[in-house]
Amino acid sequence: MHFRLHGRLPAARRPARLRTLARRKLPLKYTDIDYLVFTDAAWFTFSSPSSSSSSSRFSGLLPQGSPYDRETYRYTPLLAYLLWPTTPAAAAWLPGPWVLWASWGKILFAAADLAAGWLLVAVLRRHRGLSGPRALQYVGAIWLLNPMVATISTRGSSEGLLGVLVAALLWAVHERRVVLAGFLLGLGVHFKIYPFIYAPAIVWWMDAERMGRGQRSSSSSSRSRNGGLLLAKLQRFVTPERVVLALVSLATFAALNVAMYALYGHDFLQHTFLHHVTRIDHRHNFSPYNVLLYLASAAQQQESTGAGGFKIESVAFVPQLLLSVVLIPLVGAKKDLAATMLAQTFAFVTFNKVCTSQYFLWYMVFLPLYLPNSSLTRRPRLGLAALGFWVAAQAAWLQQGYELEFLGRSTFAPGLWWASLAFFLVNCWILGLIISDLGISSSTVSISSTKPKRKN
Amino acid sequence: MRQRTTFFHRNEDAIDPASLQVSGRTLSGPSIKAVREDRFTLGLDELPAELQELLRLSQELYIRWASPVPYQAIGPWSSRLSPGLHVFYTPQADAKANVASDHELCLLLRRLGSVECSTPHKSFSRLPNDRFSHSTALEYYQPVYDLSNFVEYVVQYACAPSDAECKTRFDAVKQASSLDFSYDTISHVVKVTSLWGRQHQPLSISAPASHRVEVGLLTPNEPPHLEQHEIGVTGLLTVLGEDSKPAPTMFTFPSRHKQANTGFSSTFLTPTGLHPTMQLHIDSNQPPMEEDSYCALHALLTLPRTIFADKYQLEDTLFLASKNLTALQYISQPVDLEAPDYVMDIWGSSVLLELSTPVTESKEGFTAEIPLHLRYQSPQHGSESTFEVPYPAVFWACAAEEGTKFPSSPFDRINLGYDGLFGPRTLFWHLDPVAKSGSDQLVIGGKVPVLDLDKSRSINTVTSIVVVVGFAWVVYRLLMVYLRTGYGVAQPVKAAEKKQQ
Repeated sequence: MHFRLHGRLPAARRPARLRTLARRKLPLKYTDIDYLVFTDAAWFTFSSPSSSSSSSRFSGLLPQGSPYDRETYRYTPLLAYLLWPTTPAAAAWLPGPWVLWASWGKILFAAADLAAGWLLVAVLRRHRGLSGPRALQYVGAIWLLNPMVATISTRGSSEGLLGVLVAALLWAVHERRVVLAGFLLGLGVHFKIYPFIYAPAIVWWMDAERMGRGQRSSSSSSRSRNGGLLLAKLQRFVTPERVVLALVSLATFAALNVAMYALYGHDFLQHTFLHHVTRIDHRHNFSPYNVLLYLASAAQQQESTGAGGFKIESVAFVPQLLLSVVLIPLVGAKKDLAATMLAQTFAFVTFNKVCTSQYFLWYMVFLPLYLPNSSLTRRPRLGLAALGFWVAAQAAWLQQGYELEFLGRSTFAPGLWWASLAFFLVNCWILGLIISDLGISSSTVSISSTKPKRKN
Repeated sequence: MRQRTTFFHRNEDAIDPASLQVSGRTLSGPSIKAVREDRFTLGLDELPAELQELLRLSQELYIRWASPVPYQAIGPWSSRLSPGLHVFYTPQADAKANVASDHELCLLLRRLGSVECSTPHKSFSRLPNDRFSHSTALEYYQPVYDLSNFVEYVVQYACAPSDAECKTRFDAVKQASSLDFSYDTISHVVKVTSLWGRQHQPLSISAPASHRVEVGLLTPNEPPHLEQHEIGVTGLLTVLGEDSKPAPTMFTFPSRHKQANTGFSSTFLTPTGLHPTMQLHIDSNQPPMEEDSYCALHALLTLPRTIFADKYQLEDTLFLASKNLTALQYISQPVDLEAPDYVMDIWGSSVLLELSTPVTESKEGFTAEIPLHLRYQSPQHGSESTFEVPYPAVFWACAAEEGTKFPSSPFDRINLGYDGLFGPRTLFWHLDPVAKSGSDQLVIGGKVPVLDLDKSRSINTVTSIVVVVGFAWVVYRLLMVYLRTGYGVAQPVKAAEKKQQ
């Protein structure tokens, strides 16, 4: 065959044929588009930029390329590294046919779900006074056998990794493993930004009494002095554990970012962090702001609708962060850390400017810790109503979204818009229930009674 | 200025040479069913000042327009482009010139119709530039389907206000099937070529005293030694003012573009939704050359920015095979996969796909389907906007024999957007676009759902109220908890109460 195209695709595009080899064995309809983005990115990362013949036997082990060569890869390069076995570069090192390794990522994400489940069981048993079988029942029913969780992970979404990171963080905090907790917090924030909301809750929870330091004498003595009340309070607040947590988490976060910036430069900053600041979010999603953002982004482009009027979307971060970073941790953290983290995440996702069903996994991981003692299970009718409304509002939205996306009907307003507002209000109501439960939580009792003894 | 006018007719449409009359600087005869091409070759000093200025800053500039009205092409003018205005451009390497020409080119283009181009830097896409490539650096496209603006511009410059005859002559350009403007620094001349498809053409041409006019009346001819990559013609040539009667001629020349003598049509499957599928109906699966040459059927899509192809989706070979596609061979860069229409400057994208033809003994029609995606468009009054896509160019690309050379032929076009993507020995066999029944245009499209401004007056207010209400409710619940239990651990009383349950 002597026919050649030489308006040839740039070097980075050539792997396409090879990559599809791997996909050939995958049931494509089931595979999430994101999984293709991750595996493509891993391919780019572990393929040498030039096909130099001098490359050593080990070249397939080194990340020589950049995951950001794959458009729409908006994650840390760590994720691409984790998917090394799905790349042809790994074929020489792994046993068995390489096409089987193409599903490695899905296995990894599903394993992460299992690991998260195991950690949740450990927290329930050791810190919430539940027996092993009971703990397993709850985690099994709410997390492991949750069809939403299983589907999202086996379709190849990486949210399962966040689930295990956050579960491990909660476990480490309960176990008073402060250094490990700091590391997990830094890693989590590097991975997906949002876990930073847990920092204030954990810090607030981690007071001297809880960490097994009797500081009663020093506090009473400082209280006697009049002028230094504030200073004394501050002194009591700054415990060694809190300092260690802050230092370790910041160091982890900074070290990872510096390393990635050194390797990938501005691409890393742009796609992993800055993209989330500049994105328009005009496409339809569950967020209450979504139709408004579509409207506003076009109006801003035309610059016709002047500067008049209050623009809620430009201050959307205020209610979101006020709730998830300040108010909920302040009121709840010392009462029930797991339920507080659930409420924080729920608030963060509910008030976010963009919201898709994958985000629901972020808070679902806490449900096995919260539901056993919640008003939603104590009053089954209430629980079923909450679930029913939550599902119904989503179903209404999905129906409108289907009409828009596949039938081409303009359902933006009022259909999609109303559905997203209804879903938002249902979420606020459920969030209110979770918060109310903080005030009557029984877990405080069980936590104090099952405090680990290893410090003594 | 020089003018070359060529009529190309089928053998059966021939007219009696005796009926042609040459008197002075005029040739006339009975009307003839033929394709007509007018080519004007101009020096830079014959152009409007602003155009001279622009060309001085350009290395290459090709502006090509193709009519949305289907036309029959015969003879050497078989190369096809998607209907609309295409610009292929290489600025001078000099950076200063770059900035200036940036401004000039778009100003000029805006005279040719409602062109949105702001600057080549922002609005043009980059063509692949490797060492084999002989294409220009930049490409632009705009769906301009009407040449009236252009004709008005030319008439203003070229015709005296009282010269009605001049205006009539240019008015004929409005009915042209294609119009080409070519310039490169090496030849340093401008060639303007207009083409009218096969139809009855009046045969009456006069040469103004100022310039040389050559008229050809040609018809296909197949001498025994004719190669597959050549076209043979025979006919009559007349140089007006010099020849007293037409002189017979016969010659052959190599041609990169030929006719496949089969057709195709294009449509969108319904409902289009936000992910329309373009369906191509190809009349024949048989390659135009014998079995020993390698041929592959290609479609070049010119997609205005409202609609785009996802190159990652078009990588999966199983998926492609199910759509009768073989591979995505080229897609212009960049193509933003997420941005809405209204924040983009770039014109759109072009996509070259290789189609897979079912192998059968006898000629058989088949369809190929190309998955595309719509961008969000600006909200407007009314719930639907529309999108339009010109027909693609569909052709067989075949490898010519080893050692075949394509020296510049008197009729060939180069820089069509796709020729630069193939090797120098490629032959293009073009399929004729056939408009779908019920339409007389080679443009297809559909509806894009948009946010209806009439239904969105309250969106800002109501969303704000709902968010504030939701926020207030959550804060109220927090406050209730705080007032009962403070920010510390929950009260033992509550815990005891709880234990009793």
